Amino acid sequence: MQMTMRNNLCSRREGAGRGDIVLGIFALFLLYLLYDSGFFTAAAWQDFNRRFYQNFVKDSRYMMLVDGLKSTIFMTTGATLIGLAVGLILSVIRVAYKGGADIPMLNKLANTYITVLRGTPAMVQLLIWNFTIFASARDLNTQYIAILAFGLNSGAYVAEIFRGGIESIDPGQMEAARSLGLSYGTSMRFVILPQALRNVVPMLFNEFIALLKETSVAGYIGIDDLTRAGQNIQALTLEHSQPLVMVAIIYLVIVLFLTHLVRKLEEWLSRGRRG
Amino acid sequence: MAIIEVKDLHKTFKLQDGRELEVLKGISTGINKGEKIAVIGPSGSGKSTFLRCLNRMEEPTSGTITFKGEDITSPKCDINLVRRKMGMVFQHFYLFPHLTVRKNLTLSPVQLKLMTQDEADSRAQELLARVGLADKIDEWPERLSGGQKQRVAIARAMAMNPDVLLFDEPTSALDPEMIGEVLDVMQELADSGMTMYLVTHEMGFAHKVADKILFIDNGVISEEGTPDEVFDHPKKPRTIEFLSKVLRR
Repeated sequence: MQMTMRNNLCSRREGAGRGDIVLGIFALFLLYLLYDSGFFTAAAWQDFNRRFYQNFVKDSRYMMLVDGLKSTIFMTTGATLIGLAVGLILSVIRVAYKGGADIPMLNKLANTYITVLRGTPAMVQLLIWNFTIFASARDLNTQYIAILAFGLNSGAYVAEIFRGGIESIDPGQMEAARSLGLSYGTSMRFVILPQALRNVVPMLFNEFIALLKETSVAGYIGIDDLTRAGQNIQALTLEHSQPLVMVAIIYLVIVLFLTHLVRKLEEWLSRGRRG
Repeated sequence: MAIIEVKDLHKTFKLQDGRELEVLKGISTGINKGEKIAVIGPSGSGKSTFLRCLNRMEEPTSGTITFKGEDITSPKCDINLVRRKMGMVFQHFYLFPHLTVRKNLTLSPVQLKLMTQDEADSRAQELLARVGLADKIDEWPERLSGGQKQRVAIARAMAMNPDVLLFDEPTSALDPEMIGEVLDVMQELADSGMTMYLVTHEMGFAHKVADKILFIDNGVISEEGTPDEVFDHPKKPRTIEFLSKVLRR
């Protein structure tokens, strides 16, 4: 199983697809525009290098971006873990209620939670957590507040992903487990959830990617994440484009890498259980 | 002595549009230890619902079912304990696709702490040998043919050492050439003295193996008796009509 997965990850697609060609033409067009605007003259190139040095090299300013990236990854990872836990609990409540469990209050609570957290912007939620709920907790690391805010927000989305995954499993699986004397909870844990999880892994990964980008508003509560690090460099060098374009490129590279992973993962999962 | 006794069992389904459908209209019957009872009847007659009420896969609307003297329709009854001793085999097998054959068989005994993993493993080995699949113990369900899946499903039900096995049309989803291998396994179980309820369309097998035939029609037992009585000398016009349809081919 492991071996096949490795092989799949290493295999390469042959030749260029239509998307690659379009991208190539677009890149050529962009190069032409730059050329036309005098970007490739020696003076412009020198200026570009000087500003690049100012922005990223001098006083090790690139470290600001590195630290920002660390913070972004830390928040995203923490929020993902909370999101998974919260989402799992919420989805099981909703599925169990639908399956006849006598938990109307819990179900109502779960529904309200999902509606409210999906129905309001994550950034507003972040601000409320920081400036209202934890307003008096000034010695608390704001990164933890952000993790909580983004995690609880993500939980509402993850809950819907999980619910879809659980409901996609044939009801006969639950019946077969129950017919062996297993309780509802044990059947859920050992029979239903492992199958559901497998079905939703790609969607969970996409949620992780969305979350990564969503944490870019953490600067609003004073966290030096990747985005804020770019702005901090801007403030030091009074440079208007390079730092933010660099930030965008870093996000893009990470997202493209993760997207690539999801695609490989999907391929592997659709190949069946043993590749 | 009766292992299962059913008294005046009713089951009404609520349909999506709010109407009600009475599927079982008062069934009273029972099964003795070691007895094999085949339940036959037209589709939609309620025979599967009857079987599924026995381990409360469907909640009976009214009536009582006792299992080894315990009223399992009472709210005080822990149905999970009852189900340990009442195995069920489904039309569509429902093997757990994310687990190997071995884990399919050992999950329940180990999780319920009835056996250690080692004990359950050797029991699984034994049962798989019995259904002719000893070499498939580490195989994944999706690698098996339909007939093999159903034999694993039977072994899985047996892994709990049940007192009764409930078969819900176990060969109806199989390709014709695979029906024989599953029936052979069931024959062997029957010969070993297993108590069995069998909902089936395999009239030949029912005739050969069953001690008693229940003919369920329109939610009631319309005729019952030994295979000879029901198959060869049916009394009710509905039974005669049904048998003439299914046996003509």
